[in-house]
Formats: sequence, structure tokens, C-alpha cells
Amino acid sequence: MQLAINIAVLTAIYALIACGYVLIYRVSRVLNLAHGELMMLSAYLLITTASLFSKTPFIALGAAIFLSLCVGVLVYLFLMRRMTGEMVLAAVLTTVALGVLLRGLVVLIWSAQQQNPAQALGWVNHSLPVFGGRISAAGAALIATTALVYVGLFLFLRFSRYGIRMRAAGQNPLLAAQRGISLHVIYALAWGLSTLTGALAGILISLDSGLDSTMVLIGLKAFPAALVGGLDSLVGALLGSLIIAAAEVLMIYYVDALLSDVVPFLVLILMLVFRPWGLFGTREELDRV
Amino acid sequence: MNPLLRVEKLEVVYGRAITSIQGISLEAHKGEIVALLGTNGAGKSTTLRAISGFLGLDDARVTEGAIHFKDNSLANRPPYLITKLGIVLVPERDKVFPNLSVVENLSAPVATAGANRKRLEEMAFTFFPKLAELRGRTAGLLSGGERQMLALASALVCGPELLLVDELSLGLAPVVVEDLAQRLVEIRDKLGITILLVEQNATVALSIADRGYVLENGRVVLDGDAARLKSHGDIQEFYLGGAGERRSYRDVKQYRRSRRWYG
Repeated sequence: MQLAINIAVLTAIYALIACGYVLIYRVSRVLNLAHGELMMLSAYLLITTASLFSKTPFIALGAAIFLSLCVGVLVYLFLMRRMTGEMVLAAVLTTVALGVLLRGLVVLIWSAQQQNPAQALGWVNHSLPVFGGRISAAGAALIATTALVYVGLFLFLRFSRYGIRMRAAGQNPLLAAQRGISLHVIYALAWGLSTLTGALAGILISLDSGLDSTMVLIGLKAFPAALVGGLDSLVGALLGSLIIAAAEVLMIYYVDALLSDVVPFLVLILMLVFRPWGLFGTREELDRV
Repeated sequence: MNPLLRVEKLEVVYGRAITSIQGISLEAHKGEIVALLGTNGAGKSTTLRAISGFLGLDDARVTEGAIHFKDNSLANRPPYLITKLGIVLVPERDKVFPNLSVVENLSAPVATAGANRKRLEEMAFTFFPKLAELRGRTAGLLSGGERQMLALASALVCGPELLLVDELSLGLAPVVVEDLAQRLVEIRDKLGITILLVEQNATVALSIADRGYVLENGRVVLDGDAARLKSHGDIQEFYLGGAGERRSYRDVKQYRRSRRWYG
């Protein structure tokens, strides 16, 4: 049972991160390779807001999430906007550069030491008993948040006008522009939403297990999850996360804990060999993978 | 009266190297249907694309000349701003969002400022009642004719004053083309929308147009009202297929072609 709970929590982590990759890829065909770093930045922002609003943890939490949303939109406005309607490769390389930059900045500003935002907020990460196993409070929050985010995203993309416009712009940016849709607004929205979900992931993970610069690795491990599902599908991201998480947890339990960082990429390589467009991806995207 | 759209000596260069149209001038007055005729590569589509705006991805620029719409200069503005001004393009290919349903295709466009969106969407369905039956269908699964209807309808939802239609007849059965052409006339008559129609099929275009321009190699070689163009010898011969007797190849070099050069 404990195994199932571990898998569920890890799935939630990967899925929450992976939907950020999917959102941006789906709308602009750009792989945001700085997603892990942006996620980590959000967690560090929480450290700062926690020291500013030490009496009121929820305000600190809200402020950190709001700041992360702003960071996402600003990244688009000042960096990625120039790439709108241009070559995709240039944009992808820009995100790589952004990632390296952020990693350096985070160490410069907050130092490379292990931090504990839960402590800073004055919260204790209780361990709760469920179905004969145990789950940490932050882990439970992770599962709930991921479920909410996915339902929210699904409703937004399916029924709201801007959601429909996002899907339209993802399919054919030129036609979308000719139908009066401002690509800048749509892309900024995608970046905002993507960093927002990334921030939720980063903050909850840091509340669960502390924070240092190795968090980037978790972001990187969620990338195979997005890819296994097919980069342009949210359902795929969910299922991909489940596959990667299950493989990882089972490997750790039955074989060796040292394998944990390797397994996701092993699955990724197998996937790329046998079904490069992913489980739910569009097949014609093949040349872009 | 000032024309609604005035294109002056327009030059478009692709990839900073290839001049695709060189010095095209044309006008469209309010409530007119204007046809742009010409063979492959004559520069018809480029002219429409220049009016409706390029993306960075197109790697194309208007290098000379001007495009005036009402009181605005349009050259090198981004497409979504041009659409907001009231010029909407129905492109030749990729004219609908294939993974969106018919209704979603109609709710994605942004209407011009001050337009009553609900009324526009209802109007789209009154002009193309067949789309109402296909509401939930994925656009990628529509037939060519239905797709063209959806493309026209979603362009109407933008609330245009000037509709640019690229190749209405491409790949469609003659009956369907006839029907769509009548629909264009209706749109003009009932909504007062000006239409600029690019066509290879000169018979269809000249049957509904008020005036026309003939392009060749990126230049306007002939213009005039539809009746005059229809009776013009060269048009008859090259575009309407109404050549008199067959000629031998020996005479080919003796084409007399009256040309008018602009710019």
C-alpha cells in the first residue's frame, strides 16, 4: 500500500511539472528547457516571502505564487516575445540559456545551502495515515493540487474563449493571427500558466522535502513524463507521469535506490526508439522531437 | 469618393532576395466585388497576403509602395491588428483549425471593436445554414466545400468591412463553387462588405465581380470592369478558354498583348 501511495505522490509531482512543458509546447511548439529552473526559482521566492510575511504563511504562499506568475509573463515579454513567429530552435536555445542563468542567480542570491521553507513558514509536515500507509501533508496537498490543476486546465482549454484561442494558435499561428488573435497575448498567457503550475509544484515539493539547487533535477525528470505521453497532450502528460513514477518507485523498492535518477531517462529512450511521438502525441510532430 | 482600399505601387520581397510582386496598384470601393486574375505565380496570393499582413515566419516584407485602408496605412503591420481594422483574409490553404469543432472555429476569432459578437455568430449560421447541422463536427473531417463555408463564416465572425478571399474555387466541384459564389454576392448585398477575390478560374470570378485586375509576373497588365474584361480578346484566349481557331506553334511568337505598366 505504501508503494501505491508513493507512486501516487510522485505521479502528482511529475504531472504538475509536465503540464507546464505541455502548455508551452502545445501553444508555441517551443520546449521550455528552463522549466525546472523556473520552478526552483518559485520555491526560493517562497523563502523570501516567508521571511517578509513570517506571521501570515498563506499571504507568503500567495505572494510567492503571484510573483512566479509575474516572472513567467516577464520572461515571455522580455525574452521570448522576440521569437514569436520566428524559428523554434532559436527559442528553445534561449530557454536553455535562461535556465543556466537562473541556476547561477539562485545560488548567488540564496546560497547553495539546503533550505527549509516549511520551517520558515512555521509549518510542520505531519505524516497522515491513509489506507494502511502513510502520506505527508505536503504530499496529500500535491495530489489535490495536481487534480485541481488538471481539471481546471481541461475546463479552461475546452470551454473558455481564451482556451479555445490557445488551442487555435497552437494549431495554426498564422491563421490565428489572421483571425484577429494576438499571438503575444496567447503566448504570454501560456507562459504565465506554465510557470504558475511549475511554481505550485516547486513550492509544494520544497515544503515536502526541503530545497536546494538539485530541485532542477526533478524538473528534468518530469520532462520524460511529458515526452512519454506525447508533448502536446495533457492526458498524455498525466499517463506519462504515472508510467515514469511507477517505474521509478518500483525500481527503487525492488532493485536499487541509486537507479532513481536513471529510470525516467531509460523509459524515455525506450519510448523514443519505439514510439517517438509519445502515447497521445500527434504523429506529425515526429520531425520536431 | 475615396476608395476603401488603395494599393499603390506595391513591392514585396521574400527572404530579402526575391521580388515577388513589383509595383502593383489597385483599388476597391465600398460594396464592390473586385477580382484579381492571373496564372500560377503571378503574385495574386502575395498581394492578398501583403494586405492582410505577414508574420516573421513568412520572411517577407513590403519594401516599396503603400497600402491604404480608410485612413490607415497598412504596410508591414502584424496580421491581428489588420484584422481588427476590418480586413479579414480567407486563405487558400489551412483555412480552418482542423482539431477544433465547427462551433469552436467560430468562437475563436476576435471580432472588430464595437461589433456585436453574438449577432455576428448568428449571421454566420444564417448565411451558411449547413454549418448549424455540423456544429459539433471536428473541422478536419469536413469536406472541401464545407471547409470553405466554415472559413468564410469564421471570417465573417471577425466583422470585416473588406473580405479577402484567396481561391474560392480551388479543388471544389463546379456546383459547389457556383453556390459559394452566390453566397459571396449575398454577403456583399446584405452586409455591404467589400470583397477582393483572387481566382484562377476567371469564368467564376468575372461572373460575380464588378471590376477586375489581371496580374502577370508580379505586375498588373490589364484592368477594367468585368464586362470589358470578359470581352477582351486576350482574356478570352488565355483565361476563358475561348480561343477562336487553333494556332500552330509557328505563330506563337506573334501574340499581341496589350500591356499596361504601372509604376
